[in-house]
Amino acid sequence: MRHSHSSLGSSFGSSLDSSPGSPLDQLLENPRVWRGRDALRSPDGLPSGYDALDRRLPGGGWPRRALTEILVEQYGIGELQLLMPALAQLSTEDVMAGSGWIAWVAPPFQPYPPALQQGGVDLSRVLIVRPKNDAEILWSAEQALASGTCAAVLLWLAVLDDQASRRLQLAAEKGGSWAIAFRPATARSELSAAALRIELEADRQGTALHILRSRGGKPGVIKPFFADG
Amino acid sequence: MSRACKTPVLVRDAARTPSAGTADKTSHQTDLFQQALPLEAADISRQTASRKRTVERLWFCVYLPRLPLEALSVSEDVSEDVSGNVSGGASGASSGKGQVNNRAVVRTDFRAIVEEQQGIHRILLPDTRAAEAGVLPGQSANAALALLPELTLELRNPLCEQQVLEALATWLEQYSSFVSIVAADVLLLEIAGSLRLFGGLKTLGREIVAGLEQRGFDASPAIAPTPLAATWLARGGRRACVHEFEKLLPALRNLTLDCLDWPRTALELLTGMGIGNVGDCLRLPRDGFAKRFGASRLLELDRALGRLPDPRPAWRAPERFLGDHEMAEEQDDSQYLLAICHELLVSHEGFLLARQLGTQGLRFTFFHLKARATRLLLGSATAERLADRWFDLLRIRFERLALPEPVIAIRLEGGRTQALETGTGSLAFNGRARSGFNGRAQPAFNDRAQLGTTYSMNQLAERLTARIGAGAVYRVSNAADHRPQFAWRKSAALAGKTVDVASTARRDLRRPLWMLPEPVLLEAEQGWPRHRGRLTLREGPERLETGWWDEQGIARDYYTAIDPRGVRLWIYRDRKPRCDVVWYLHGIFG
Repeated sequence: MRHSHSSLGSSFGSSLDSSPGSPLDQLLENPRVWRGRDALRSPDGLPSGYDALDRRLPGGGWPRRALTEILVEQYGIGELQLLMPALAQLSTEDVMAGSGWIAWVAPPFQPYPPALQQGGVDLSRVLIVRPKNDAEILWSAEQALASGTCAAVLLWLAVLDDQASRRLQLAAEKGGSWAIAFRPATARSELSAAALRIELEADRQGTALHILRSRGGKPGVIKPFFADG
Repeated sequence: MSRACKTPVLVRDAARTPSAGTADKTSHQTDLFQQALPLEAADISRQTASRKRTVERLWFCVYLPRLPLEALSVSEDVSEDVSGNVSGGASGASSGKGQVNNRAVVRTDFRAIVEEQQGIHRILLPDTRAAEAGVLPGQSANAALALLPELTLELRNPLCEQQVLEALATWLEQYSSFVSIVAADVLLLEIAGSLRLFGGLKTLGREIVAGLEQRGFDASPAIAPTPLAATWLARGGRRACVHEFEKLLPALRNLTLDCLDWPRTALELLTGMGIGNVGDCLRLPRDGFAKRFGASRLLELDRALGRLPDPRPAWRAPERFLGDHEMAEEQDDSQYLLAICHELLVSHEGFLLARQLGTQGLRFTFFHLKARATRLLLGSATAERLADRWFDLLRIRFERLALPEPVIAIRLEGGRTQALETGTGSLAFNGRARSGFNGRAQPAFNDRAQLGTTYSMNQLAERLTARIGAGAVYRVSNAADHRPQFAWRKSAALAGKTVDVASTARRDLRRPLWMLPEPVLLEAEQGWPRHRGRLTLREGPERLETGWWDEQGIARDYYTAIDPRGVRLWIYRDRKPRCDVVWYLHGIFG
């Protein structure tokens, strides 16, 4: 958190040509100073581990306490790889600080523990939930998010209407968890309350990352995001 | 006799002049002793001469040679019984197990219990029919199956055996105030104090054995004045009944050494020396024996013969809560029923609080006038006693419980109790008690509305388990195996701490984040794998060839491949001798 905060501060500072720690900087750090669009930036983004992405996201990383939607044409094109550094980062954070489980609700395949561990995820905090139907997936995800004991809740769901996404968003805010919903790319045009919507598109040259919507940020494309598949 | 007292056991009495004037019978005994145990003979003979040792304690030993087999059939019956009534997942099944039912199983198939020894499944215990067909203990499972293809193999379940044994110990407490669980298959009762009440040794013995048989256990009993002697005699399987010290030695003398439960190495060494039974052992010089086989073996011999005291821990049946609430008339208002359940839970909490205990499982039984009772099992990840937490879990389950009929009575049975492990709470100086990591020891639960619903990691797992079932909420850990499909394992989220084994895979060998439940056969085009088009191989091969010790050995070359749509796949080529190249898809890098 501190890291992202300082990077934001320095980028802002450099644009004004003032050295960090100058009186202007101090003035700007005063919470009573309103700075328009930048005020929306919550400086506590979760570093994604990918600089190109962090630079584009407000807060310098994944929005915590909010719903992120990741749209993929087909599972397996790198959507987990995208999350792994952030999940590893969450694993190292203090359990007592309120974040605990990394819950996987209705994953399409079996998350493979040796690979998770290689990626830096603490296996003792992984909880896998396999509900039987969509209603239970939503129920489980909402319970997990609102419980305040999940650092992150990953869920896979084909159908997520506006109302359901709003509920997930509220639950995430309430429990202070990071919600990630994986959905098929066909859901691109649907309404959603997600704070961040990302679409991954893969071909033989590599994977492109489209930021479809970002609260407090701008849409954009990072291409190629993963070079070479 | 230049034995220095090197072993602590030997220090006894310096005087060893045999006293004169022994009766005929005792002098004969003295001869036996002297012959049997040259070093200690004088001491013993003095004792026997001065007064006949009175037997203060009498030990009844029950040895259950077929427990691994019997325990499984008993628990099967119990689980069938429970699952017939429980709706939803059996999340708290542990509370139902361990009951011993009054029934005898009539089985028609061949069964055998197997146990894994150094990676090989070996027959531990075949049932009578399988044994008649030639299945022997110690055979490998494959050999037994080759001999008898219709044989059903079941893996030994030590936990279940323990539960059954504890249930038996609890049942045996009616015959004696002192019951002790000696080993995984041996129970001891002190019966000297019970003889008058139960009408003598024979009647008591017969009653216990008959009771065990009725419960489906094949017991081998023995009675002796020392616990160890009783155990050995029971293992010897001769239904011995020794109630005087004088007869103890002759009875033990002919016991073969494998009744003693000594380590295999010691037994082999003794057999190699031509020592076949306990009598031979006793004839050996004590210091040499202690040197070669350890002082503890010598101590055991002394204890068995009653020369040393042998205190035993007593088994105490766990206390369990049982609360009933009967209603004047049938009720089907769920709010009313829940309120009664809450009352029961509060008195359950009081019961546990007074004893500083908690429990991991509860069972509610709803009785109906015209239908079978509905049962509801609740489970928790840690020992818990707070009524509000149990009530939370109950509410989730109760919503989905279909009661066939109005309810006339409700019963709450507490599960096995255990000491409550309290977490370290933080001091609430600002008057705002924060629910601790373990979510207990705070008054916070009474005013949850104020606090917002924050609860612990375990509580989340419990809530999810209560709604979607124990099998669908799980945790994962690594397992020490090079075979990708065995390199991890599931454990129920409520099972408590998982033991994590460091991954055997090297860090530099990339593993896919997604695994397919089963490898999928890929089409091949001129020996080249296809998956939505021709695949490009990137890394590999990584050759895995292992698992020869069981029947799921693999011989595979793993490659990283990319399909035309840019998905990274983990595929392998099966190297088992076949005519053509066979490719499988096993994982996706995600």
